[in-house]
Amino acid sequence: MTEKSRLGHFYLFPLTIWSILFFVSPLIIIILYSFLTKDIYGGVIYTFSLKAYQSLIQLTYLKVFWFTLKISVISTAIIMFFAIPVSYYIARSPLKNVLLFLVLIPFWTNFLIRIYAWIAIMGNNGFLNQLLLSLHVLKTNIQFLYNPIAVIVVLVYTYLPFAILPLYAAIDKFDFTLLEASSDLGASRLQGILKVLLPNIRTGLMAAFLFAFIPIFGAYAVPQLVGGQESFMLGNMIARELTITRNWPLASAIATIITLVTCLGILLYIRSVRRSDEKDGK
Amino acid sequence: MNHTKRGIFTTTMVILTLLFFYLPMAVLLLYSFNSSKSMVITGFSLKWYNELFTNSPFLWKAVSNSLIIAVSSAFSAVLIGTLGAIGLRWYSFKLKNLFQIISMLPLLLPEIILGVALLIFFSAFSFPQNLFTVYLSHITFNIPFVLLIVMARLEEFDSTLLEAARDLGAREIDVLMKILIPLTMPAIIAALLMSFTLSLEDFVITFFISGPGSTTLPIYIYSMIRFGVSPVINALSVLIVLATIVLSLFLSKFSKYIINH
Amino acid sequence: MKKILINLIIILLLVLLYGCTNSSKNTDNKLYIYNWTYYIPDQVIKDFETKYNVKVVYDVYTSNEEMYAKLKAGGAKGYDLVFPSGDFVKIMISSGMLSPIDSTKIASFNLLDPLITSKIAYDPGLKYSFPYMVGAAGISVNKKYIKKFSKSARIFENTALKNKMTLLDDMREVLGLALKELGYSVNTFDKGQLEEAKQLVLKWKQNIVKFDAESFGKGFAAGEFWVVHGYSENVFLELDPSMKAQTEFFIPPKGGPMYIDSMVILKDSKHKDLAYKFINFIHEPQVYAKIVDYLKIPAINMEARKFVTVSPNYNIIDLKNCELKEDLGEGVELYNKIWEEIRI
Repeated sequence: MTEKSRLGHFYLFPLTIWSILFFVSPLIIIILYSFLTKDIYGGVIYTFSLKAYQSLIQLTYLKVFWFTLKISVISTAIIMFFAIPVSYYIARSPLKNVLLFLVLIPFWTNFLIRIYAWIAIMGNNGFLNQLLLSLHVLKTNIQFLYNPIAVIVVLVYTYLPFAILPLYAAIDKFDFTLLEASSDLGASRLQGILKVLLPNIRTGLMAAFLFAFIPIFGAYAVPQLVGGQESFMLGNMIARELTITRNWPLASAIATIITLVTCLGILLYIRSVRRSDEKDGK
Repeated sequence: MNHTKRGIFTTTMVILTLLFFYLPMAVLLLYSFNSSKSMVITGFSLKWYNELFTNSPFLWKAVSNSLIIAVSSAFSAVLIGTLGAIGLRWYSFKLKNLFQIISMLPLLLPEIILGVALLIFFSAFSFPQNLFTVYLSHITFNIPFVLLIVMARLEEFDSTLLEAARDLGAREIDVLMKILIPLTMPAIIAALLMSFTLSLEDFVITFFISGPGSTTLPIYIYSMIRFGVSPVINALSVLIVLATIVLSLFLSKFSKYIINH
Repeated sequence: MKKILINLIIILLLVLLYGCTNSSKNTDNKLYIYNWTYYIPDQVIKDFETKYNVKVVYDVYTSNEEMYAKLKAGGAKGYDLVFPSGDFVKIMISSGMLSPIDSTKIASFNLLDPLITSKIAYDPGLKYSFPYMVGAAGISVNKKYIKKFSKSARIFENTALKNKMTLLDDMREVLGLALKELGYSVNTFDKGQLEEAKQLVLKWKQNIVKFDAESFGKGFAAGEFWVVHGYSENVFLELDPSMKAQTEFFIPPKGGPMYIDSMVILKDSKHKDLAYKFINFIHEPQVYAKIVDYLKIPAINMEARKFVTVSPNYNIIDLKNCELKEDLGEGVELYNKIWEEIRI
């Protein structure tokens, strides 16, 4: 064993123990559960069954999956559109610490309370309606809440800071002389950003994307509170299978599939890290 | 310098974002001084603040539980996560890819599943559920966030710096303390803040893990939803934000000191 | 640098230590209660603590399903007293979660209204549970916006109120309401009857803005929803006095599902004596009257009715056409399927 790999073991030791104990073992239980038979009063009966997976191939479930995917993609796109310029600005600003805290502060109040504040803003008699009415933009109240758009707005609000933080960390250490060099070489500012900045912060972008997309994909409370009758996402479905219909194997099966599918996301992330390694000549 | 032109777009976005972030805060502030319980503005009153300080023992218990968990789990997760990130970044071994995927995975699992999985796990080993199990669970979901943030930072480093230090005979502890940690400090702070925030926020996992007597603030608030969230919570939120601002002023000085060190 | 890190580690250890000592001292002379949110006024619990010089550890849940899922998975070990509804009492009895109740230890056994106790089929003879409250979901109407309406579940068919109404996000409550409206039992297994009920709910669905079991009270108080289906206490605790005057609550005359929430002692309870003391304390007529005044629902304890000072939102007599929800057993699959077709 080389000196180097011994060091590697030292650094990785706590993480390994922790992952095995508090993550891998519970996960194995979940995967196991997805192949067992449901007990009508919750829990599982220990006989092998594929019923959970069979019942997943149904139009209603596919519909929920499609809706969840749609909402997640749209919200994440909007989040990235805001997060990139904002973290860029923060990283370049002399007041970056202050700005970083300004971004975080609202998120130290409970998210349910913030959702209620949004209900107050977007409600039929809420601030937005009052404002638009008094400015004569509107003639009658508009129903802003209880539809997919409301879900998207509140999801963007909730997860935007989770995208800003990793992006900021990546842009902060970007060597900005590269941008100046590219403009000295005659590149336009847009070209500089697209061809020099963005590729160099690719892992930061990936991290930001994952931080936003993944929790949104499993969102539960937001669609529950500001969505309408059609706003039923996978998170709501898992909660329903666990508590109301008490179909634990089905809930586990949904979770297993989501886990497998999103593993691809991580693989992509690792790829992008490695590719930038290779580029650095390592 | 052509900062001005570049500034227009990003400045607008920052202003928009801050407006977007602080609009609900303004609403909270307004309602915390509203004399009515409902969303209709009826008049100025301090009664919710009064009730917060005189008649909310269960609420304060929940707040203290939340703070204990958030602080302790954030520090522990950052400790484990930062070391792990260094290991993952510079050392290769068999099955590294698999290991990396697994350590990031808690992030991908819908919270509710991680919650139930941990719940079944703890009960299988008849671990009594209390604040300690909540603490363990929060570390588990915070670690991947720490890994991602710290690894993104480490990735930009030139590892020859480390090799040089080692070739010159630096002990590993010195490499860690004098090179790695100072260089990753911004990411470590970002990871700490992120973990603290996530832990303070978490409802779903805590809900499943908590047992008798370990109600945290989000659980307390969620349980109020059916019967109406009391405006006392608005008053509390306003105070939390104020405390945060004070803390952040203090911390921003502190973190500058660390970074410039 | 090193110093900072060492400091951080020390802080961490201290915090951990505090957390551990804090949670390990939860041992004796404490009663662990797991109950619905706001179901007992804080004052009543404080009075109990003073009277017997004990401490009550009080955690809350928002639905039977939540409570049950947690107990089932083993997460709620350590509670003494829980407050499930009738159908869940039955489920908990058959899963062996409950400790039998010794009726000789309960002073108020004969004070319960026989009109209600005669309907109890989930636990005949009250061997495992003792009733706490009785009630039913109803319909709240904002009279400021709706001047004329007929007191019936058919209000959800009024297209003029489209997007101003909510139904509970609860399969048994909504299907039960429809089944009763059609004159059937809320516990039916008849496919034809259930199909009819499904069609009726689908008709209502076109007019409601959402199925909501969480924030309909708040939405109603904000004027967001004008007609909501749900429990009266959820709505009325949200309302300002002025708003209360313009709100009408009714139980549909054809009835709907009703519930009895009971106190049960868990099998693993370590403080059974205290749990009995608590049950007896709750049913002391004056104490019980105080709770009923707060919740504004009818008293099941006949003796306590003498001390009630606030008129409830509805009376026992309004529940005459209502039917207790029973556990459906295997038949729940049928309901699940229908509800899924409605909901998704």
